[in-house]
Amino acid sequence: MEVTFKVYRKEPGTQTQPGRSDYKIELGKDATVLDGLLKIRDELDGTLAFRASCMRGYCGDCTIRANGKSCFACTTRVSSLTQKSPEITVDPVRNMPVIKDLVSDWDTFLWNKIDRIHPWLEPPGTAANGETIIPDSVMADIRKAMSCYYCGLCDEGCTVLPVDFGFMGPAALTKAYRFVFDPRDTATRERFKYIEESKGLWDCVHCFEASEHCPRGIAPTERIMALRDKAFELGIQNPRAARHHYSFADSIKKSGVLDEGKLAVESEGLTNIRGLVRLLPTAARALRRGKAPIPYIHHKSPGAPQIRRIIEKAEEKHR
Amino acid sequence: MKYAFYPGCVSRGGCPELYTAATKVAARLGIELDELRDVACNGAGVLPKYISDPINARTLAKAERLGETLMTICSTCTGVLRAANLRLKEDPEYREQINRDYLAEEGLQYRGTIEVKHLLWVLFEDYGIDRLKAQIRRPLTGLKVSPFYGCFMRRPPEVVTPAKEDAGRKNYLENLIDAVGAELTDFSGKGKCCGFPILTSNPDNSHAMTAKHTGEAKQKGADCMVTPCPLCHLSLDGQQAEAAKARGTNIDLPILHLPQFVGLALGFSPAELDFKRHMVSTKEVENQVSMLA
Repeated sequence: MEVTFKVYRKEPGTQTQPGRSDYKIELGKDATVLDGLLKIRDELDGTLAFRASCMRGYCGDCTIRANGKSCFACTTRVSSLTQKSPEITVDPVRNMPVIKDLVSDWDTFLWNKIDRIHPWLEPPGTAANGETIIPDSVMADIRKAMSCYYCGLCDEGCTVLPVDFGFMGPAALTKAYRFVFDPRDTATRERFKYIEESKGLWDCVHCFEASEHCPRGIAPTERIMALRDKAFELGIQNPRAARHHYSFADSIKKSGVLDEGKLAVESEGLTNIRGLVRLLPTAARALRRGKAPIPYIHHKSPGAPQIRRIIEKAEEKHR
Repeated sequence: MKYAFYPGCVSRGGCPELYTAATKVAARLGIELDELRDVACNGAGVLPKYISDPINARTLAKAERLGETLMTICSTCTGVLRAANLRLKEDPEYREQINRDYLAEEGLQYRGTIEVKHLLWVLFEDYGIDRLKAQIRRPLTGLKVSPFYGCFMRRPPEVVTPAKEDAGRKNYLENLIDAVGAELTDFSGKGKCCGFPILTSNPDNSHAMTAKHTGEAKQKGADCMVTPCPLCHLSLDGQQAEAAKARGTNIDLPILHLPQFVGLALGFSPAELDFKRHMVSTKEVENQVSMLA
């Protein structure tokens, strides 16, 4: 089949605007996008840069976007992309600075962020016989998180990274999960200090896009939520997130339902004048529209005492 | 048709117009609402599961006692309650432990028989879209509408679309826009996050997301946006002015709650649906609708 690859091009170190190069090539019916890129590089244009390694969908090195959708170049068949048109677009993944063509800067994208979570185990010491045995039932979940091969597709699908490239992102937070939930690790509190910093754990919007994009079924969003639950249990160290979460819980404990006005005020902090002032324009607009929830003047669910009992018991069990 | 109705905190707090519209629309359609009044907030993804699962089991047990499907009017309530329900249904040992440790004292028990559905799903799957069409008194001809689902109505698949036949849930808003005679203005952000979950932890990022979606829909020509999630509404409507200011632009895109949108087609006036409570002016939409009457 004859196909036209319209490939994103960027030349490093120049002021030239990125553009596209069109390559018309002949490929077999089972050819993958990577087959096409290799053919272009080998036969038509030796300057085209892209990454690929295992060529069997296992290493995640050739992550690209074909026709706007993220995928591995080595496992995506060209025929699946040419049903509507014999032209396909090939772009670098989103949320990652591009060095040249389809080659992105993985240091900025991922490795520096993984560095931030201190990605090493801190065991209590060496056991007498030289090894620490952990039951397989405990390790099964950790092993699943460890099966991440850093293809970057979860970060590629993340909805926060497009508005803030500094966000730690789901891949690095999944790496943090791997250590936090490892029973041998003794640095949990310390590690939470790193991951709860600004642009970390509490900046995730739990939209589940990361899980949807993960090709390994590792479910990064669910792991981020598990980290949050653990942080809540141990005591949230990020002051802003702590105010928000514990005010929320307090509200449900007191009345069964959420006191939104109280939550807004307490999330900012009762002595944070600047933060409270920041709320004023929206509060004033809401008041004019008759929809500003007044803090602390709040109806109770008739089931409030039972709800309180349940929450206190759950807290007691996790203390 | 009768449902155990879980209105959610926001429809009784920050978005009271949603409660008004939902109850009026349900009554007009003959959907009976058995409101669960003594239940708790579901935790909205803020409370840890070890707290929210027991209180959600209590809510589900109350619905089970009524023998009715639990109906919500909020994407977040739907997603969080369904995820808890899935854990409780799939793991009888876990369910029994929660029953024993938390619910028994109140004489309650959850047996795992209850289904949780959003009003949007009820309209398509239980009520029937042709039956709804037959009730339309004011086709919303010419009104250009963008859909906005809310994350919890889109993902994760095991919670939102567990069965093959649930796949249509990802297109219900578009189908509804078509069914009431309005015109779809599609845009790339309809299934993305509105920014609300990080409104307090990172307002700049939250506003950037709000401005991105409302700005794109407006730029594509939408007269308004419709959402089944009041938490999205708090951002898309409530924070739109701040978000637009941060971007140095005006957006002014009215955001309608799902029952308000359906209510307009059923012949309710904007006043009856409490449009006056919106933060972004709905004047233009009201003018368009008044010409259709």
